[in-house]
Amino acid sequence: MGKLEKEKSIDDVKTFVTMVAEKQGWGLHPDEGFLEIIIDGLAVNCNRYGYYACPCRDHSGLRENDKDLICPCDYCVPDQKDYGHCYCGLYLTREFAAAGTMPSSIPERRPED
Amino acid sequence: MNMEQKIKDNLSFSEEEGEKLFEDVTLYALSTCGFCKQAIYFLRRNKIQFRFVYVDQLDLDEKKELKSWLKEKYSKSVSFPYLVVDDCNVLVGFKEDEWKNTFSMK
Repeated sequence: MGKLEKEKSIDDVKTFVTMVAEKQGWGLHPDEGFLEIIIDGLAVNCNRYGYYACPCRDHSGLRENDKDLICPCDYCVPDQKDYGHCYCGLYLTREFAAAGTMPSSIPERRPED
Repeated sequence: MNMEQKIKDNLSFSEEEGEKLFEDVTLYALSTCGFCKQAIYFLRRNKIQFRFVYVDQLDLDEKKELKSWLKEKYSKSVSFPYLVVDDCNVLVGFKEDEWKNTFSMK
């Protein structure tokens, strides 16, 4: 499963998502509690599988099979274009974030197995 | 034993007490997912009796079997949260308005 040598802490994951968002010019989910759940989930998945597997999807545990779902996933930008945010509601476009709307569940874009 | 019984007997559902609005309310969720947590909070907040299982915590074979059974039985692609009400009404994803309609709430 490619476990990590050193477990990722919540702070590590917080730093990771903040850096991704800053680099891409994205916002993060505006609700602190919700954001915390996603960050916790990402930490669990990273320590479970050895890579940042999307917390809102199920995984095989094999990096090769899950590589399109490594955060930020391959579907993040297309989802942002259509809905203003990624599948998890983690990464928001600048416009969506400025509007102050809460992300909600969106359809799964990943092709089925 | 048929596949349905086998899957249901082997899964350890967590039971949540509440008002029995329907015969059976079953939630398939991921322990890591924000919308799944919102779905659980919604059911708890509205005091609905339900049971749930965290699919990501199942072993790989069990998970595969469950997902293919769900897809075949309810003819809906499996993503999470996946709610089954009385074995016929299926909600995929958490949209509060849709869930309120299902449970006839304003």
